[in-house]
Amino acid sequence: MHLIDVLQQWSENSAFFIWLRESPSVWAYPAVFFLHTLGLIFTAGACVVVDARLLGAARQLPVAAFARYFRVIWIGVGVTLLTGIVMLGSDPATRLMNRLFPIKMLFVVAAIGLTVVLRRRVASAGVESHVSPWTRVLAVASLVSWLGAVASGKFAAYF
Amino acid sequence: MTYWWLVPLCKTLHYFSIAVLVGVVSLVDLRIFGVAKALPLRPLQRLMPWAVAAFLVSAATGYVLVRISPASSLGPPVNIAFAAKILFLVLIGLNDVLYFATGLKRQVDMVGAGESTSASAKIVAGVSIALWIGVVYWSRVLTFLAGAI
Repeated sequence: MHLIDVLQQWSENSAFFIWLRESPSVWAYPAVFFLHTLGLIFTAGACVVVDARLLGAARQLPVAAFARYFRVIWIGVGVTLLTGIVMLGSDPATRLMNRLFPIKMLFVVAAIGLTVVLRRRVASAGVESHVSPWTRVLAVASLVSWLGAVASGKFAAYF
Repeated sequence: MTYWWLVPLCKTLHYFSIAVLVGVVSLVDLRIFGVAKALPLRPLQRLMPWAVAAFLVSAATGYVLVRISPASSLGPPVNIAFAAKILFLVLIGLNDVLYFATGLKRQVDMVGAGESTSASAKIVAGVSIALWIGVVYWSRVLTFLAGAI
């Protein structure tokens, strides 16, 4: 049997996912969807601000001072990933078969990977707030990845 | 619709501009709470025009989305979550007016790297964060009420 069919059957028989899909409670699907949106909006927004600083906005801000902010960004990443996996589990066949799904995952993996790399570069910027040209390229890539992740999520309903 | 991509494009711009807006606002608010304390507040608050620009993009795309398909935001006949979202945005506006009119913004501008903010600044920042989380919450509830999801 195909892996997607196995996942689909597991989800259809799982008490948790039955509740998530069918409960009229706001604590079921609506809560998960809300937290996914909130997590993504916060995480993407926070990363965009760091990218903007690396690209030259608000130059008086010391780059290294942003390093601590990544602790909060990781909370956002965690909430978004966890709720994303739950939403995937609630309807695996439809979501995995969507033609934009692999593209969205590519953007998400790139965005998170770039966040890991940029955090290290931010932390080692020193008192002169040195930003190398290569770091700027990575910041642009980060911006594009977050925009791509949002866009492929919004366009998914049409594919 | 003539162009199938217009709605998802507007939704993308709406969503992403809110991300930029919330990204700037939450960074300032969390710094006022003492997160990433090494950031001085005067240059940090200079990022606020970016939040204003992002708000204008989100308002414009939101308007276009409502005009294209009123029922998916405003229906059925009345959408209580849409009204709540607008109410929360008005409350955010009032909170910001309070922040500037009371001189609190100028006081916060004086807070340098490693320094703490006043209790009143923390209250205004807390109200701001709570209201923005509320705006995102009502946005999700309104799509459920309208049956758009």
